[in-house]
Amino acid sequence: MSGSNVWTRTREKLRLFPEIFAQCGSEAAAYGKCVSATTTGGQELKKDLCAKEFQALKTCFTNAAKKRAK
Amino acid sequence: MMNISRRSPLFLLLLSSSSSGSCCGLQSGSRRLISGMKVFDRRMKRRQRSWSARQEDTELYDYLRDEVGSRLADRVHDVARTFPLALDVGGGKNHITQHLSKDVVERLFLTDVSEETLKRRRRGEIATHCVVADEEFLPFKENTFDLVVSSLSLHWTNDLPAALTQIQQVLKPDGVFIGAMVGGDSLYELRCSLQLAETEREGGFSPHVSPYTAVTDLGNLLSHAGFNMLTVDVDDVQVHYPGIFEVMMDLQGMAESNCAWNRRALLHRDTMLAAAAVYKEMYGNDDGSVPATFQILYMIGWKPHESQAKPAKRGSASTSFADLSKINKPIRKDDADL
Repeated sequence: MSGSNVWTRTREKLRLFPEIFAQCGSEAAAYGKCVSATTTGGQELKKDLCAKEFQALKTCFTNAAKKRAK
Repeated sequence: MMNISRRSPLFLLLLSSSSSGSCCGLQSGSRRLISGMKVFDRRMKRRQRSWSARQEDTELYDYLRDEVGSRLADRVHDVARTFPLALDVGGGKNHITQHLSKDVVERLFLTDVSEETLKRRRRGEIATHCVVADEEFLPFKENTFDLVVSSLSLHWTNDLPAALTQIQQVLKPDGVFIGAMVGGDSLYELRCSLQLAETEREGGFSPHVSPYTAVTDLGNLLSHAGFNMLTVDVDDVQVHYPGIFEVMMDLQGMAESNCAWNRRALLHRDTMLAAAAVYKEMYGNDDGSVPATFQILYMIGWKPHESQAKPAKRGSASTSFADLSKINKPIRKDDADL
């Protein structure tokens, strides 16, 4: 596939992922701690158990992406 | 998880997202040994290998194969023999025999499912013939080869017992098979991170890392295939990456992407973000990098031959364990002539 199409554009966006992710270290750590707490025998992991932390992470990520795109 | 894989692939795509999962540990373990069962899409694997070979920076992703290839070449050197005719199954870009000299191997047949990969092979000293062949359908006559090597390709075969049996058949009596495959707990960090993230974000999970052979099963597999004098050992190669994304990019570059029939077609962005956070938190190093563990299983097996040492017959012992206590006592004068 040559030229610019939805897959090449998506891949380009995806390549920025690590850089943007690096700017949300604390939110990522909070979400990671919430999920990994379930592995040590606390609560069982269910859908949206850590939704609050994930929302914080996602907001940080989208803001950083917007800033990057400017 | 045990019954899901017997259903058709399309049904599984719909079903897997609603299954609930407990924590890590379900994916690893011995592979099912049911013949005729298709775990992997071999055509997809060939396409992945050809795609990887065509990339301009394909050399950057060879580090794992080169490392395992050189360790395998060491093991070939350890066998004090010359091999007139050798076969490399799933040899790819010739990672193993590039280290071997003409004194050890005189002629080599290099096979792989992907022609593109063979075209970009490393050149070594040895006269090489390239054959495009699938690991499970070797187009060679029985009792042909003195040495068969295989590095990091058997973990994509659908029927590992059949592949090992074929290798045993193409070997000459007193020929040796020296192989390495990814097994055991490889990539457990990636598997667990994806599993936890998918469960939390989507309510269920589907397998992203392929099923591996456990090291305890490898001995059984080799002896069922007809090999003698087995040696199996495990080596952990831990590679550090900046993050989960780089791990996945490198796996894709190495042509080690998932090609199991039951793989999910897409990974949600949210899940990927969640998995990146979980991976970093659970397994991250102090400097911010994350490790990925490849557990490589090395195996050596010989085709039976009369010259090989056999276990002694029962009742043929000439000394007794009770004599061990006499080791410290001085030898009697009449025994001194040694």
